[in-house]
Amino acid sequence: MAMTATADRAHADPHHIGVVIEHPGPAPKRIVTAYGFWVFLLSDIVMFSCFFAAYAVLADQTAGGPKGSEIFDQRNVAIETVCLLLSSFTCGMASIAADVRNRFWFYLGMAVTCVLGLIFLAIEFREFADLVARGYGPSRSAFLTSFFSLVGCHGLHVSAGVLWLLTMMAQVFAKGFRADVLRRMMCFALFWHALDIVWVGVFSVVYLLGSGT
Amino acid sequence: MLGKLDWSAIPFDQPIPLIAGAVVLVGILAVLAWVVVKGHLPYLWHEWITSVDHKRIGVMYILLASVMLLRGGSDAIMMRIQQAVAYQSQGYLPPEHYNQIFSAHGTIMIFFVAMPFVIGLMNLIVPLQLGVRDVAFPTLNSVGFWLTATGALLVNLSLVIGEFARTGWLAFPPLSELSYSPGVGVDYYAWSLQISGVGTLVAGINLVTTVLKLRTKGMNYLRMPMFCWTTLASNLLIVAAFPILTATLAMLLLDRYLGFHFFTNEAGGNVMMFMNLIWAWGHPEVYILVLPAFGIFSEVVSTFSGKALFGYRSMVLATMAICVISFMVWLHHFFTMGAGPDVNAIFGIASMIIAIPTGVKIYNWLFTMYGGRIRFATPMLWSIGFMVTFIIGGLTGVLVAVPPADFMLHNSMFLVAHFHNVIIGGVLFGAFAGFEYWFPKAFGFRLDERWGKLAFWFTFFGFYVTFIPLYVAGMLGMTRRMQHYDVAAWRPWMLVAAVGMAVLTIGVICQIMQIVVSIRNREALRDRTGDPWDGRSLEWATSSPPPVFNFAFNPDVRGEDAYWDMKAHAKQQSHEHDAPEYHDIEMPRNSPTGFVCAFFATIMGFALIWHIWWMVVLGGIGAFATFVVFAWRDHDEYVIPAEEVAAIDRVNLAERRDLVSMAGTV
Amino acid sequence: MSDQTHMLAGHDLAPGDEEQHSVGARILGYVVGLALALLLTATSFFIAGTDLVWQPSIPVALIVLAIAQMGVHLVFFLHITTGPDNTNNVLALAFGLLVVFLVVGGTVWIMSHLNANMPPMDQIMPMRR
Repeated sequence: MAMTATADRAHADPHHIGVVIEHPGPAPKRIVTAYGFWVFLLSDIVMFSCFFAAYAVLADQTAGGPKGSEIFDQRNVAIETVCLLLSSFTCGMASIAADVRNRFWFYLGMAVTCVLGLIFLAIEFREFADLVARGYGPSRSAFLTSFFSLVGCHGLHVSAGVLWLLTMMAQVFAKGFRADVLRRMMCFALFWHALDIVWVGVFSVVYLLGSGT
Repeated sequence: MLGKLDWSAIPFDQPIPLIAGAVVLVGILAVLAWVVVKGHLPYLWHEWITSVDHKRIGVMYILLASVMLLRGGSDAIMMRIQQAVAYQSQGYLPPEHYNQIFSAHGTIMIFFVAMPFVIGLMNLIVPLQLGVRDVAFPTLNSVGFWLTATGALLVNLSLVIGEFARTGWLAFPPLSELSYSPGVGVDYYAWSLQISGVGTLVAGINLVTTVLKLRTKGMNYLRMPMFCWTTLASNLLIVAAFPILTATLAMLLLDRYLGFHFFTNEAGGNVMMFMNLIWAWGHPEVYILVLPAFGIFSEVVSTFSGKALFGYRSMVLATMAICVISFMVWLHHFFTMGAGPDVNAIFGIASMIIAIPTGVKIYNWLFTMYGGRIRFATPMLWSIGFMVTFIIGGLTGVLVAVPPADFMLHNSMFLVAHFHNVIIGGVLFGAFAGFEYWFPKAFGFRLDERWGKLAFWFTFFGFYVTFIPLYVAGMLGMTRRMQHYDVAAWRPWMLVAAVGMAVLTIGVICQIMQIVVSIRNREALRDRTGDPWDGRSLEWATSSPPPVFNFAFNPDVRGEDAYWDMKAHAKQQSHEHDAPEYHDIEMPRNSPTGFVCAFFATIMGFALIWHIWWMVVLGGIGAFATFVVFAWRDHDEYVIPAEEVAAIDRVNLAERRDLVSMAGTV
Repeated sequence: MSDQTHMLAGHDLAPGDEEQHSVGARILGYVVGLALALLLTATSFFIAGTDLVWQPSIPVALIVLAIAQMGVHLVFFLHITTGPDNTNNVLALAFGLLVVFLVVGGTVWIMSHLNANMPPMDQIMPMRR
């Protein structure tokens, strides 16, 4: 009855003047949780934007130290990037597996994501250690300060992500695909994909723009 | 083993902080002893400390803010006395102590008074106004509160262990860098703000999600009470601006702890980048504080004028305009620092533009009052006092938004008078209005009107007597933060300001008396109907204090001023509800996660300040373990059976029916 | 009020959630996203290292490619769409991006002016000599 009345009104009133769309009430938990996390991610990206801004301001302040083009190794960055892109894909596979409650593919997807994340971290750590060993640590110049902070901040996020990932796997092992576990898995996937987006900014602005000119 | 910490950290040679610290310590121990002896500890633990109920957390936020207001107020009194006596002499406070006092005053008043007060009011009221049972993330809400409390604790700890920053409330480098501030003061400052900043961010995310995703049926955006709109705007600003503060302080800490060169004078660091970034947070912060106050005034003015808010849609538009424009004006805090005419002009114009939506709001409140039947209850007095005071503060603000004028007034007492004018006249008056207005909702009895009005008049006049002289002193060339001075022309104004401070203090005493008297007379002041002010929005539709589940049924909203409509409807039909059918209600279980997490955060923060690295690791592991334990729990909700809901709700309905039938006969 | 029709709106989608698709379709989405992302990344790395294109255009090209790739990630991995059930998610994203743009753009603009008018100490010193 109500439906037909609405439909009639919609025909008589194609622009919906006089139609009040009623808010349906509190949203289900899955939407609330994911939205809250989405808002958190945006705030996290604003934080990254400050480190990007600091890098943009300080990039030329080498204080007699090395310039970007002298210390960046494009091959390493390419490997890091491929690792993160692939891990984003495997993370997506893991979340599909979680949605259809397939433990095997979930564990496999998460494990591969974890390994790729660790490879990324290992390469980054080696790059940092190498620079510090050559005397190009973050206290050498303002440029290196901003470089280490920006890239390191992303690295810390990836490390936190790996810790979260392992906790997630343990939780699925212990509790199965409960509703709250699935909500957390969705947040984790958002987090991991967002880190990838930040990395796109990092390799474009820091490594590629920095190694030219 | 203990890093930089040893006995020299305790200032045995300075009697003032030591005595103050001892008094506070004895006070805390006395309260704790009373709680334990009287056997209230289990009650406190189960009903408050571990509570995830948004109303309880809101009350605790406000309690924290009130206690910190006394601390920040004592700092203010000490500064006013110092400037009154330190004419051609050293006064009674040595410079290094005076510098700590004005730094602590600013930090405490903004971060641990104004912020928790408005967040507390939003927490307490917004879910009720939206007609829902709790905020989006109840446990995180508790975590956020306890982290804020951790920050406050660390700041106050600096009174007796070590020292606080001597750098002003924003710790500008290079003064705040290790070479010029080698002590732990800046570290206390930065770590307490980092920890409480996490708490604020959590609260912001929580409230944004609550407003956007948890509204009752029919609560469309354009039917939300104004306070919910300003809450949304303010918390969007928190979410967008606080990460900037976190990043900036992180850079400062990296400079201090690991020898980075963000803001140093050496190796290409850039001091001005700190001013730039900190004010990119700092200006939105001003609106984070004042927007909720605008919301409170909107509710109060409309309720006590007995009219719907005038220009509701323009008010919504003005709120959201302020929300966006507040991110485009930050340079006006450093006009004088060499950005050049084009940059200064654009930010100057933007700063003047933001006054327009604020003006729209003032006119809307005035037109709401126009033709209304105004009741001059205490909340309304605070609101009218706000309008007068805030217009003066706003106009001096537009004055300093003009770059050439700012070159004359920058960092003078005029500026000090200006921002106290908007923050006291705007935020504090708003917080007090909200406190008086919603106190009956939180506790079930009204506050004593006589003491409330006394408090208002003393505070109102005390404010003018204190701060108008500061405007004058500023125009006579007095700069801010002076420990002593030799200019005879400033002296009389400093003396007048000290008298004003005494009047303000009487205002605070009246406020305390009001609470004491009201608690003693609570039976006479009892609010049985849940609607003591003849309110318009949904928080008045439930009993005072509301049951833990807020509403037995999620209300169905049909228009603006939802509860006003319901009352009008009920009067016509002369009954509120037919006998409704009650259902079980699921509520989130209490959890000590917030408290335990804050415990570890305190340990971690303290250890970081004093470079006790093993303790840092311990605190970090503890905090992570707390979250894992929380994530592992199997039951996160409990059920309130339908009979219990019915029993609670029938009492409420009966009281309310009497009210409506009485109103019908009038 | 009575002459108005009241319609009940549906809930928005959670960010990261897709509309109902089969597992195969979802995997395909990720495959397409991965392929596009890899392609854009490869182009970026190629352009940065080549001298085949006009050199001053390289920074612009890199930034455009980066933005394009972020878009690919948002659509294929985070499932942000322009549909009506995504309004809230997109609005939050837009607000976040506005702030990012203001902070980064404003900082770069302000700091370049400050540096031009008031150079840092180590640049003033050589000028004086």
